[in-house]
Amino acid sequence: MYKWLLGTVAVVLAGCQNEDARYAPIEGMVYCAEANPVSFNPQVTTSGSTIDLISKQLYNRLLRIDPVTGEFIPELATSWQINKDGTEVTFKLRQDVQFHTTAYFTPTRLFNADDVVFSFNRLFDVYNPYHFVGEANYPYFQSVGLDQLIRNIRKDSEYQVTFELFNAESSFLANLATDFAAITSQEYAMELMQSERMELFDQYPVGTGPFVYREYQRDRFIRYYSHPDYWEHQVNLDQLVFDITPNGTTRIVKLLTKECDVTPHPSATQLDVLRERSDIDLQQQDNLNIGYWAFNTERVPFNNPEVRRALAHAINVEKIMQAVYYGQGVKATSMLPPISWAYQEQHNLPGYNPDRARELLAEAGYENGFEMSIWAMPVSRIYNPNARKMAELMQSDLREVGVKVRIVEYEWNTFLQRVDEHRHDSVLLGWAADTPDPDNFFSPLLSCAATFSGKNPANWCNPEFDFLLTQALDTTDQAERKEFYVKAQQMIAEQLPLLPLAHGKRSQANDANIQGITLSPFGGISLAHASKEP
Amino acid sequence: MANFKLFTEQSNTSPLSRLWRKFRANHVSLVGLWLFLALTVLAATAPMLAPYGINEQHADALLIPPSWHEDGDVRFILGTDDLGRDVLSRLMNGATYTFGLSIVAALVTTLVGVLVGTVAGISRGLRASLLNHLLDITLSIPSLLLAIIIIAILGPGLMNTVWAIIFALLPQFIHSVRNLVVEELSKDYISAFRLDGANHWQILVRGIFPNIYERIVVIFTMALSLAILDIAALGFLKLGAQPPTAEWGAILAENLGLIYLAPWTVALPGILLFLAVLSTNLVGDGLRNVLKERRAD
Amino acid sequence: MMFEFAIRRFSLLLFMLFTLSLFTFSLGYLFPGEPLTNFSGIETAGFSQSADLRAKYHLDEGYISQYLAFVGRILQGDWGLSFASGDPVFSHVLTLAPATFELAVYALLVSVIIGVPAGILAALSQGRWPDKLISGITLVGYSVPIFWLALLLIMVFCLQLGLFPMSGRISLLYEIPASTHFMLLDVMLAGFPYGGQAFTDALHHLALPTLVLATYPTTVLVRFTRDSMLNVLEQNYIKTARAKGLSRRQLIIHHALRNALLPVIKQIGLQFSALITLAMITEVIFSWPGIGRWLIDSIYQRDFPAIQGGLLAISMFIIFATIFTELLYTLLDPISRNQAHGKL
Repeated sequence: MYKWLLGTVAVVLAGCQNEDARYAPIEGMVYCAEANPVSFNPQVTTSGSTIDLISKQLYNRLLRIDPVTGEFIPELATSWQINKDGTEVTFKLRQDVQFHTTAYFTPTRLFNADDVVFSFNRLFDVYNPYHFVGEANYPYFQSVGLDQLIRNIRKDSEYQVTFELFNAESSFLANLATDFAAITSQEYAMELMQSERMELFDQYPVGTGPFVYREYQRDRFIRYYSHPDYWEHQVNLDQLVFDITPNGTTRIVKLLTKECDVTPHPSATQLDVLRERSDIDLQQQDNLNIGYWAFNTERVPFNNPEVRRALAHAINVEKIMQAVYYGQGVKATSMLPPISWAYQEQHNLPGYNPDRARELLAEAGYENGFEMSIWAMPVSRIYNPNARKMAELMQSDLREVGVKVRIVEYEWNTFLQRVDEHRHDSVLLGWAADTPDPDNFFSPLLSCAATFSGKNPANWCNPEFDFLLTQALDTTDQAERKEFYVKAQQMIAEQLPLLPLAHGKRSQANDANIQGITLSPFGGISLAHASKEP
Repeated sequence: MANFKLFTEQSNTSPLSRLWRKFRANHVSLVGLWLFLALTVLAATAPMLAPYGINEQHADALLIPPSWHEDGDVRFILGTDDLGRDVLSRLMNGATYTFGLSIVAALVTTLVGVLVGTVAGISRGLRASLLNHLLDITLSIPSLLLAIIIIAILGPGLMNTVWAIIFALLPQFIHSVRNLVVEELSKDYISAFRLDGANHWQILVRGIFPNIYERIVVIFTMALSLAILDIAALGFLKLGAQPPTAEWGAILAENLGLIYLAPWTVALPGILLFLAVLSTNLVGDGLRNVLKERRAD
Repeated sequence: MMFEFAIRRFSLLLFMLFTLSLFTFSLGYLFPGEPLTNFSGIETAGFSQSADLRAKYHLDEGYISQYLAFVGRILQGDWGLSFASGDPVFSHVLTLAPATFELAVYALLVSVIIGVPAGILAALSQGRWPDKLISGITLVGYSVPIFWLALLLIMVFCLQLGLFPMSGRISLLYEIPASTHFMLLDVMLAGFPYGGQAFTDALHHLALPTLVLATYPTTVLVRFTRDSMLNVLEQNYIKTARAKGLSRRQLIIHHALRNALLPVIKQIGLQFSALITLAMITEVIFSWPGIGRWLIDSIYQRDFPAIQGGLLAISMFIIFATIFTELLYTLLDPISRNQAHGKL
């Protein structure tokens, strides 16, 4: 019986091998992704795991920042000009850019000024038909206050656009260069509007980037094909597949069994194992990021800065560095990482001192401690490779000072959503910068605007702090700006809306036959130049 | 008629000691029994015996291999995990959580199961038929699924798991006990007993129980091995015991990330789980075989 | 006779489905949170939308009317929306269930192919070394926690030997149009694309999960077949046949086997429900995109409409499988039809 079965299979197989040449195996690369994307439009999210998957693969921006020199490089814009008082920025646009042709959309024209005007109008203009599609929530732009900055976006000609600003702002160009400022297709948007399927716009993407959307199955995979008419260069990979694997160990196993070609953020415990393998390359890079422990400052007792200080004193960060980062990160000495130009070491940050913690708690009226929750992010990101473990270490530290901790975990996207709703007491989270501009560490995280868009995990709105940030943005001189940012750093170390813990290194493990993926110290990953040797 | 027997002792020994003699003859079962007893003692005394606390973190000793390894440390016989917790202490306490709680769950199930099962066995009419119908439905749903359903309602957690497992094992238990009771009730000696004027209670206590308790023990071992597997599986799926609780399944799940760096943290809880279930099954199988032989005699 | 039996089974089926639907309905109230949210899966309903939904779900009326509306929706395939994905639960079930079903069927096949002959062999060599060996292996297979076994196999076959992949149903680089959602079938329907590689790749992906899942039912079948065979061999008619001088071979093939295997068939059907449950663990470990993994993820995420839908689907699966095997068994074994009266 069994032999017979085997025989049949063999015959069937042989039959097919001869006849079927049109299904040439498609060469491609599999990237083990950490979570489902929350959207296919980078304008509507700040989730780093989503940005990695969609932003640089499917879209282009007007300009980007060179990771090494920090200079602006033209992308969809060929050049730009800023008027004298800094309130008008004019972009000349590239004329040969093709949008994606997909199963659901075929472009009839090339990229032009209409697309730029549409993409940005959607974010700020309540009269834009797409403004209220989804939840009208554009977290990055709202939290850095771009919606308060842009007066108008003017189409000068088919290939020239001017941004009119209320006032000059030093980080404006940097913000346009982030992964969130993607250019979408106006023609596609209008087509969907006519057929009244506008809600599909953020689910079925059309961009100008190196890859074209093909298929997405939740919890399983995303499939992209290469964009045959990509304007910048030829794309080497025929196919790019994101294998959605939330579990870090599974990602490593998949890398070892060759089911995945690339695995981001391999857990620090595995790095030694990976280093020993000759068939696996390990890349590491310093990165602009911060892992922190944020308190919900609107809740009792975390509204009291002394309680926050006490809790911070209770934590043995050295132990965390050892047990969670395994030397793959540096202990934070400020909100900003040392590689940022505005960095200043903060001596006022509380160190490990349980006795002092108990004293402070007693002074605040909590001799007998209290009960609190620590929300631990369920995925590993650069800034925090293992929040669960960190939470357990902190749980045992805090028990020493009489604080009872409950650890809370949810699936990643649910987790972020609930943190946005400020349902937590405290949360272990982090931020990876999108631009080298220091403002990127403050405005999107701790400004009042960020509180309202839900992206401020400390729920901390301090007008004084906001004023510092505004002053810094109104200044163009770097030395002067630095002074403001130093003050901002001092204020954080004093008020402790969040406790900066560590700056992680960005690491990535990939199969040795994968070439052309370079890690950047900020922003999401780009796979445009990736190639796979047979 | 005078009936002379040379070896009178044999027939005079109680059924229990005869059972034991037969059971003892099977060495494998005997080893299982010793293992079982050892685990039971460990489960009862682990919190006192364990050298360190379950969640005592040694910041200076992360991921130390077992002591016989060249990098080992005599303080930690089976090494430490990534938080610097003593693996041996956690595993010993795991016996309390996994094995001990399973025994509790199985005992509660036995108690309730025997009660309800007997009632179901004796009663007739609509009530019995309704109960049987309900049993049929729940029986077709395996215990682990039933436990998962209950946890879906109650929410994850170790105590919820224990309740869920008790509820999930009950239908099978009730069903088996009921079958035993029905089977005994149909035997002639019970009819004779009844004709003698014995009431329900007397029939149960004097007639049926002495004849089925051994088989109830066998059912108990089956329930126990299911309970261990279910508690561990739920702990592994992160639906049962939540870390840092030292339940074997949860320890295993927690240490999965260390499978390369510290394979012993994954291997040991698995081996213990296997031994716990194996010893339970060995005892159950041994007992069943003995009972079967006796019936054949 | 057969007809009456079928009617009885059918009424039992209806009763079971009724209880199941009643239970699933009550879950909407048992779960934390608003019943409206639990039923519809819409977490942020505005005021007017919420009023519409209340009307649709008959929430302002009595429980009976709510229940009837619930059954109506279930039958129409309106199982609410998943919190996590925002998609209809029913469409999730439709795409995921075949993966679980596929895995369970192959595992059942493997366990029958291995388990039944092994059980017979053990019975025929009772007390001698093949019996002891088989019994020993079964005992081990019976006692080993399935997730632990899966990890061991992954360590050995995926990481050390590199023979099999550890996750999914097929390498993601192969693009197979999902027409039936049964992977092997889909590959065949697509005409064995990629020069047949896709098919072998799918088989490779099946190997370990099937093996792990088959372990438990195989051991059960071995034990059951062995006991059943031994039972039959002790029967008087076998002794008679032996006394008449039939050879051992004739005796076993013509008399013992058929009668011993009948109860085994029923047991095979019962194993199906165990398989579906164990499949949940297997799916989690091997990242198999089936309904069990989805259900467990939904429990983590407190995705109540999804939990409700997943439980309903799995339980229905099991109930139908149980009834089906009983019918099959009855077709093959006339005596059981008589027993069907008194026993239930």
